[in-house]
Amino acid sequence: MSDNTPNVQQQSSAVQTTGHAWDGDLQEYNNPLPRWWLWSFYATAVFSVLYWFIYPSWPVGDTWIKGFGTVNYTVTDQASGKEEEREYRWNTRTLLLEDLGAATNDPQRKDMLAKVQAASYDQIVKDPKMMEFVRSVGRGLFGDNCAACHGRGGQGVVGLYPNLTDDDWLWGGGMDSIHETLVQGRSGFMPAFGAVLKPDQLDDVAEYVLTLSNEAQPNEASERGKAIFQGQVGGCAYCHGADAKGLPSQGAANLTDKIWAIADVSAQKSVQDKKAAIKDFVAKGVNNTRVMPGWRDRLSPTDIKLLAVYVHQLGGAQ
Amino acid sequence: MAQSSALPVEQYNYDIVRKFTIVAMVFAVLGMTVGVFIACELAWPFLNFDVPALTFGRLRPVHTTLVIFGFGGSALFATSYYVVQRTSQARLAFPWLAEFTFWGWTGGVALGALTYMLGITQGREYAEFEWPLDIAITLVWVSYFAVYVETLRRRSQPHIYVANWFYLAFILAVALLHIFNNLAVPVSLTKSYSLFAGVQDAMTQWWYGHNAVGFFLTAAFLGMMYYFVPKQAGRPVYSYRLSIIHFWALIFLYMWAGGHHLHWTSLPDWVSTLSATFSVLLLMPSWGGMINGIMTLSGAWDKLRSDPIMLFLITSLSFYGMSTFEGPLMSLKSVNALSHYTDWTIGHVHSGALGWVALVSFGAFYHLIPRLWGAKLYSQALVYVHFWLATIGIVLYITSMWVAGIGQGLMLRSFDDYGNLAYTFIETVEFMHTPYIWRALGGAFFVAGVLVMVYNMVMTLRTARREQAAIEAKLAAKMAKA
Repeated sequence: MSDNTPNVQQQSSAVQTTGHAWDGDLQEYNNPLPRWWLWSFYATAVFSVLYWFIYPSWPVGDTWIKGFGTVNYTVTDQASGKEEEREYRWNTRTLLLEDLGAATNDPQRKDMLAKVQAASYDQIVKDPKMMEFVRSVGRGLFGDNCAACHGRGGQGVVGLYPNLTDDDWLWGGGMDSIHETLVQGRSGFMPAFGAVLKPDQLDDVAEYVLTLSNEAQPNEASERGKAIFQGQVGGCAYCHGADAKGLPSQGAANLTDKIWAIADVSAQKSVQDKKAAIKDFVAKGVNNTRVMPGWRDRLSPTDIKLLAVYVHQLGGAQ
Repeated sequence: MAQSSALPVEQYNYDIVRKFTIVAMVFAVLGMTVGVFIACELAWPFLNFDVPALTFGRLRPVHTTLVIFGFGGSALFATSYYVVQRTSQARLAFPWLAEFTFWGWTGGVALGALTYMLGITQGREYAEFEWPLDIAITLVWVSYFAVYVETLRRRSQPHIYVANWFYLAFILAVALLHIFNNLAVPVSLTKSYSLFAGVQDAMTQWWYGHNAVGFFLTAAFLGMMYYFVPKQAGRPVYSYRLSIIHFWALIFLYMWAGGHHLHWTSLPDWVSTLSATFSVLLLMPSWGGMINGIMTLSGAWDKLRSDPIMLFLITSLSFYGMSTFEGPLMSLKSVNALSHYTDWTIGHVHSGALGWVALVSFGAFYHLIPRLWGAKLYSQALVYVHFWLATIGIVLYITSMWVAGIGQGLMLRSFDDYGNLAYTFIETVEFMHTPYIWRALGGAFFVAGVLVMVYNMVMTLRTARREQAAIEAKLAAKMAKA
């Protein structure tokens, strides 16, 4: 084969090859190690030794090189509230405590937290400085705990998770109700009427529900629906009220506004489709599909208080 | 003896090299396409179509296994079998065992990928194969070792060429890593539990994981480099002395560095410190290989203008130098606090995997193909096209991951005036959407390059077959006349 013949040109430089050749023309020069390479290698060794003495490193007998690095952090005694400054040799556990301490001991944060803890909801809402703080904490609390369902802006998902920015509140939009919702959680329920009402009765009810928010004009069918809604046959008024404005204690929706939390009525263009959406929903009801967990075991009372104000200020609250 | 083929009996066993070369390219196309798909899934999550087998979690090990073991592994088998024969001037020992390594390796990788899609996995990164496949791979590997060492032993050269040191170190180290990391108690055919627990388990895994990078993706490919760079350049290796020093430094230091994957975890601080410093110490030994490769071209730089294969090889060494600088940097505790758990790590891995491992393999294959099939490369221009597609792809990939990783790292640690976190986790995810799109695009460029190479290769093979058929026909005509 042609590449079996050595074709190495004679070098003009004084550097010699090792004298070996493989596969025809494979040879090696014996250049000395590049100086910069060698010195850089030594430099990394010096760096490493320094590193060993800054951080904990080599085990020696039954102990180890502990390193000169130190970490300072403040511990607050839970019972007495006394603060104590401590210094430790560098290690990741104390470093974590230092980091956590830096956040909790931030004077401005501590100050505002105490203020918010002491204040009533009314006082917080009226104080722009406290509200600024609420928004600062709430953003993270809401983003990490609530946004997974309700969306980062609290806009919710129609049919699944309530919108927290509109005027409609299934369980009440007052500060105390929001607080209660956060602490206890909520479980929405509506019986499935598909087994109770006949299809044409469901049609009539749907017709009536649409007239409540002026989505449709009253007619014969809606009058029949009204009878079912208000009477014993459907009994809808027991929860939604005779005026159909809902009952927050039951999580029953207000049917007289144009806000639809579950049945996706707003997205439908024709009255027929809107009716179909309501009919379908009334037939199926709500059972274990609209559950919000309680947060009392996961968030501190202060966090819940801050979160209640944060949700309240998202908009539409009462 | 009457020969049906016009080609003389080959001095060396090229058949096995050809097989591994072809299968390496098949795995490259498959594995990298899966890579682009999962990159798209991260940018547009609906792409998993709610099919479990297509979710990111299942396909990610399919991608890594197909590219590292399928493409990278087969490229190493191909080149090491080629190099050891040519530099030892000996035909490959135990041809039937070599044949077994081919079917065993190819089958193992393919089966592995299938089992991951079914959800069967050990959950150990780069070692997801469940125990039956682990045992099969061990058998293949021991056979590989036997073939390689016996071929070396039969060499008709007094000295062992440097490329073989690296290949042999790789074979030995990978055997050690594979066996110890996969020690497990099987509970059924598809499920086993690691013999190690807690932080020891994590440390064993990353001792394996980092040395898989060190010996599989670095030492072995340096072996490839040490043959194909001087061969393609037609010049002697720059420094024999440097090759000895950096070889032993690399072999000694790599084994200690794995702990840097576990900075800021429950790993003891002293282990973390030591692994950081051994990573820093690795910088110059790694660069030794780069210097030896690049300086081999000293005095013949013009080859970069005229030889696209040289372009692949030298660019791969540049990426090797860059990622082996980035690695020690990221292994420092303070830098790692920012980079850990972010896409900076993914970018770093790919600058090594695409820039170094893949480019040096492509260079080696372009050198090999004409020699293996005895035909001129179909198109030199397409090699340039491949080179630029690959380079653009890598640059897009790495830079988008720097943006995504460093950006997310900075967002996660920024606080507002009250000492509260400035960003929620989901905001950092939203931020990464755009870089994720660029990354997928970079991957697509890279795959496009590979497809160009496959086309070039297929056309070359076709020409080779046609030419051989013509010669045979001529020969047959002559025979008929006579």
